[in-house]
Amino acid sequence: MAAALFRFPGNEAGWADNDAGAEGKRQSAVIELIDISKTYHIGDSDVHALDEVNLSIDDGEFLGIVGPSGSGKSTLMNIMGVLDVADCGVYLLDGTSVESYSSGELARIRNRHIGFVFQNFNLIGRMSIEENVELPLIYRGMKAAERRPLVEAALEKVGLLDRRRHTPNNVSGGQQQRAAIARALVTEPSLILADEPTGNLDSHTGAEIVQLLHELNASGRTIVLITHDSTLAAQTGRTVHIRDGKVAEE
Amino acid sequence: MILQSIKMALKSILANKMRAFLTMLGIIIGVMALVVLVSLATSATNSVSDRISQLGNDLFTVNIRDDGGKPLKMDELDELTAEETLGLVAPYLQSSGSVKQGTSTVRVSITGTNNAYFSIMSSVLAGGRLLLQPDLDNYAHVVVLSYEAAAELFENVPISEIPGQSITLDDLPYQIVGVLAENESVTSTGMESYAVYVPFTVTARTTGSSDITSFYVMATDSSQIAAAETALDLWLFTRFDGDTDAYYVQNMETLSETLSSVQDTFALLLGGIAGISLLVGGIGIMNIMLVSVTERTREIGIRKAIGATQGSIMTQFLLEAMVLCLIGCAIGIIGSGIVLLIVNMIASSGTDASSSAAATTYTLSGTVIVVSVVFSTIVGMVFGLYPAQKAARMHPIEALRYE
Repeated sequence: MAAALFRFPGNEAGWADNDAGAEGKRQSAVIELIDISKTYHIGDSDVHALDEVNLSIDDGEFLGIVGPSGSGKSTLMNIMGVLDVADCGVYLLDGTSVESYSSGELARIRNRHIGFVFQNFNLIGRMSIEENVELPLIYRGMKAAERRPLVEAALEKVGLLDRRRHTPNNVSGGQQQRAAIARALVTEPSLILADEPTGNLDSHTGAEIVQLLHELNASGRTIVLITHDSTLAAQTGRTVHIRDGKVAEE
Repeated sequence: MILQSIKMALKSILANKMRAFLTMLGIIIGVMALVVLVSLATSATNSVSDRISQLGNDLFTVNIRDDGGKPLKMDELDELTAEETLGLVAPYLQSSGSVKQGTSTVRVSITGTNNAYFSIMSSVLAGGRLLLQPDLDNYAHVVVLSYEAAAELFENVPISEIPGQSITLDDLPYQIVGVLAENESVTSTGMESYAVYVPFTVTARTTGSSDITSFYVMATDSSQIAAAETALDLWLFTRFDGDTDAYYVQNMETLSETLSSVQDTFALLLGGIAGISLLVGGIGIMNIMLVSVTERTREIGIRKAIGATQGSIMTQFLLEAMVLCLIGCAIGIIGSGIVLLIVNMIASSGTDASSSAAATTYTLSGTVIVVSVVFSTIVGMVFGLYPAQKAARMHPIEALRYE
């Protein structure tokens, strides 16, 4: 808890960019990482991907995590997205510790609390954009009639309603990333994790995607943007740097 | 959720139609082999046992194998007829020979017997009369022709004019006294349709032995078969001084039971062989599912990232294998129906010249359809399990990184 308090001045800077609506949720932290460490064993050498990381992300925040490749930012994202589990430390997601969860429970958490946006979009090629967006709701066990309005709303928000029947291969990269964002937000997650979302896009389209993320943040979504591009990170509400598995506040 | 998974499975199968079809081919061939072979065997069994039961269960066939120097004679059979539970008794001696009439010669089967034989075989006259006791007593050279033999020997002659004509049977002259009506029972099919019947005593004389080696006995009442059999056994036992090896009694019921059990075994054997080909088809399914799981590693990663549990990934791939098997099974059953239809067409066009009544119709056996559906489901489940497990156990991060 001391770690969270320690970060408080940094948070102040973040709030400045946020809309007033987020003010009421100020107290609640969506994510709290306390002394998180992760070590990979490659051959006989140990690689400390994360070394006692402490990080707190509040509801409605737009956080940028910047670091060069190999700095441990992907590992951090995997742990925050509960795709992976830390070796030691405490991870509180929406106030609940996730270490003791089974793989089934972790899948449920990913489904309900986290939306992923990947560098290479990661859409399923033989399914239409609409079906890709629908998929997380299917895994939630929602009925078709309940799914339809949610999918339409998400596609509307990213401006892809007219392309819903296309397969990902038949639309541009920017549109694919929009589809991926629609898939991430259709479940109304506590947190959207974007890992180099502009990495495979030209600068103009990349700027549009960042603009879209800003719009989502303005409507109250908590967003974590992971990038190696510090100019992109500068546009976020708060930026933390990661280097050699250690996190440093800007 | 299951419905959704089936939709997903169908979708990914349809996404790769050619491959899905080739994968299914093993199952299709396996199911077709199973259904067609077993249906053929079952239909054949049913048709044979139908014909046997036409003969009636109240009929016993007695064969004398070793008379121990005390051969059975005609007059002794009267003792059997006297038994309360036993009715008609007909000795028979079968051989073959050739019949000449004018310029035509026909190979025939010759049965030396008495009047009771025709009642036992439910033969009906088309013209003239049957063999009578005086014919036997007088060693009369008279003959009754089967319908087919008469038709072959006397083309374009009305049946009513045939009795009274003369023929030569194995170089001896005989007078035709009667012609039987066309008979649909087992005795009139195949080779035996060209049959002639002469008095038992006449065949006994031409073959040089008046001993009876085989005869039919019919129970007076079909509800008294057990009692009749006991009476018959007792009489034979006494007659041959307790030597049970001297004679052999056969009942049509036991014969048909034996026959159907033999053919059941045959069907099981054929089914087993076909089952093996289904199993081989299953290995093909497993192979393709493993390829499919590897190809779709990234997809599995994506699905896991957005919240698919191990269970739902497992269900998805398992259902895909099972749906693949069941579609194959359905195609196989439809294919079997078509094959049997063709077999029926060939069989009926081949046999209607000789006797249309004897043609067997081959039908899809309901049991084997159920068995093949169940078996295909099991094959899909067993061979889909390992690939599905492989998919379910993938680590999401590694799966997402897969190129």
